[in-house]
Amino acid sequence: MGLEPRFAAMFGSPSRFPASLALVGAVLGLLFSSYSTNDYAAHLDRSLHDVHCSFIPGAPVTAEAEACRAAMYSPYSAVFRDAFWGGVPISLFALGAFSFFAAFAVYLLLARQRASKKSVIFFAIVSLSPFVVSAVMFFISVTELGSLCKTCVGTYVASLLVALGGVTGLLTLRGPSESATADPSVSARPAGHAWLALAWLVVLGAVTLLPVGVYAASVPDHRPYLTRCGELKQVDDPNAGLIHFRGTHAVRSALFFEDPLCPTCKAFHDRLKTEGVLDRLNVTLVMLPLDSACNWMLDQPLHPGACTVSKAVICGKDRARQVLEWAFENQNYLSRAGKAGEPTLRAVINQQFGPSMLSCIDSRETKVTLNRHLHFAAANSVPVSTPQVYLGTQRICDEDTDIGLRFTLKQLAPEVVP
Amino acid sequence: MSETILKARWFAPAVGFTVGGLLLALVSFDVRAAVVAARDRLKNPSAEDRPQVAVAAQAEVAYCTPRFKQVLERVLHSCGLVGGEGGRRGCQPADVKTFASISDSDFNELFTPLRSRGAVILFDEGKDQLDEQATRLLDDVWFDRKGARYFFVVARASKTGTVDLNRALSHRRANSVLFHLKEASKDPEIEKTVGLLWLGNEFAQLSKEYCSWHNSRPDSKCDEEAVNRSAFVSWVDCRL
Repeated sequence: MGLEPRFAAMFGSPSRFPASLALVGAVLGLLFSSYSTNDYAAHLDRSLHDVHCSFIPGAPVTAEAEACRAAMYSPYSAVFRDAFWGGVPISLFALGAFSFFAAFAVYLLLARQRASKKSVIFFAIVSLSPFVVSAVMFFISVTELGSLCKTCVGTYVASLLVALGGVTGLLTLRGPSESATADPSVSARPAGHAWLALAWLVVLGAVTLLPVGVYAASVPDHRPYLTRCGELKQVDDPNAGLIHFRGTHAVRSALFFEDPLCPTCKAFHDRLKTEGVLDRLNVTLVMLPLDSACNWMLDQPLHPGACTVSKAVICGKDRARQVLEWAFENQNYLSRAGKAGEPTLRAVINQQFGPSMLSCIDSRETKVTLNRHLHFAAANSVPVSTPQVYLGTQRICDEDTDIGLRFTLKQLAPEVVP
Repeated sequence: MSETILKARWFAPAVGFTVGGLLLALVSFDVRAAVVAARDRLKNPSAEDRPQVAVAAQAEVAYCTPRFKQVLERVLHSCGLVGGEGGRRGCQPADVKTFASISDSDFNELFTPLRSRGAVILFDEGKDQLDEQATRLLDDVWFDRKGARYFFVVARASKTGTVDLNRALSHRRANSVLFHLKEASKDPEIEKTVGLLWLGNEFAQLSKEYCSWHNSRPDSKCDEEAVNRSAFVSWVDCRL
């Protein structure tokens, strides 16, 4: 049974379409993973940088790249994060793999019928690997991160193209098309040797690992920088009404200054939970809302409504952690409500917790407690940005609370890393 | 390129191998360059690499002039707030005259910017008890601390009576305020927060103009005698 003529022309032997498709995919994958890798590597200087976040390869970096930053800071973006500050970005593996696929696609494109059947089958099988990884990462992005990073999507699409190119290449094994059989130069494919497929597999592995090796050999040693961000002057203030919550397997004390409407705090909190670290900490929580309604350190509110939500967390008392996590889970909604005005925000809180919570928020006692939290921050001269994290008295540098978190914890408090 | 070369068995693998090698070299070079550049920036950071972040601190507002802070500092040191643990609390008129080295009017002028921040707690003639309106207003002022570090109580007495009697009376008025604040706030740090001054009728008497300041008896008749039977209370938003 022959192929339908239109498809036969496109996919049948000796069509160049499958290999061309795979080549385009591989080149796109190289570009996207290269931008991801460079963004990641730039952060090794412990500074904050804009990141690439576009479907268009080569589009300039931007500060408005929350989804890409969230993906980059997530624990899924890198491996070996215990051993290297920030870990080894998975985009490095993609760089090597796409180089291999590009080279193999060029080979298939030029060899056409001279490429062995085994080489085509090998390519079809291995071309699925980036697609499978992309599918897993896509699933994680949607279910765990709740957002899709454009650069990552670019890589997913590139992986799909490579996989399509590889799999459709199998169709060229079904025999020459009618047009092709008319060409006397077209001969039957050789079968090829099985050992060659094994050799290619070894090469694919080596090529995939090479950029990883180059990266790992060049990364700076961050250990000397971990303890350079100061210490807490005052560990606790029994009169300040600070919030305490203890993890189920708490082995270390930590102190967090947090703003419930701060996206970075939410990301940090999520990271600690995902890593299993939060359960191993005995946390003292100090509310530091970046909202000028209660925080005299600001001229204007960075997170309108944060004072009210902070009061709600304080009012949570023994359930303060649950209220904080509710605020984090509904942060976008609460932020919009905060911007809309106090009545809107209060309505949201009322709907969730009832009028007793509002009474507590309005009480003088709560206002004084929140003020004491802020004075505790002032007494400790903490930076007016959130989150601020202390392990015991040791301040964790801001840059060590995101991509370097696991490495930092492993160095400074290995007992909290599962 | 000749047809022969294109059809040679070695051509496609050779090109594929070369392309792969070149791509790999390029990628590896790019990765190393990016990491080494970051490593160099880490070792030799430039000023613009480190954005300046404000540090949490107590409030400091415009009225905290050097002169105001000088008097404030002297009050803190001389009246037992700083370095005076276990020692004497508060300052009496003679102390104020000595440490402030300032005229009556200049002393009052210093407190003018606190008009909107503070309040005048009024007392009955010869009395030091706080009435209900006074405690309510005192609580309102006290619990609206914001970023202030120190709370001042400047008690006075009217010209009626002897100097000694008025000195003692203003002292008792200052203490009434402090005792109420201790009771209301349960703040164990209050001794390090509240600065007490009692001026009797000897120093920095208030003029009738101060009747227009926020006070605990807005509906009562106010004159120069009445407004000096008082304690001026305010948080002070200055860092030292």
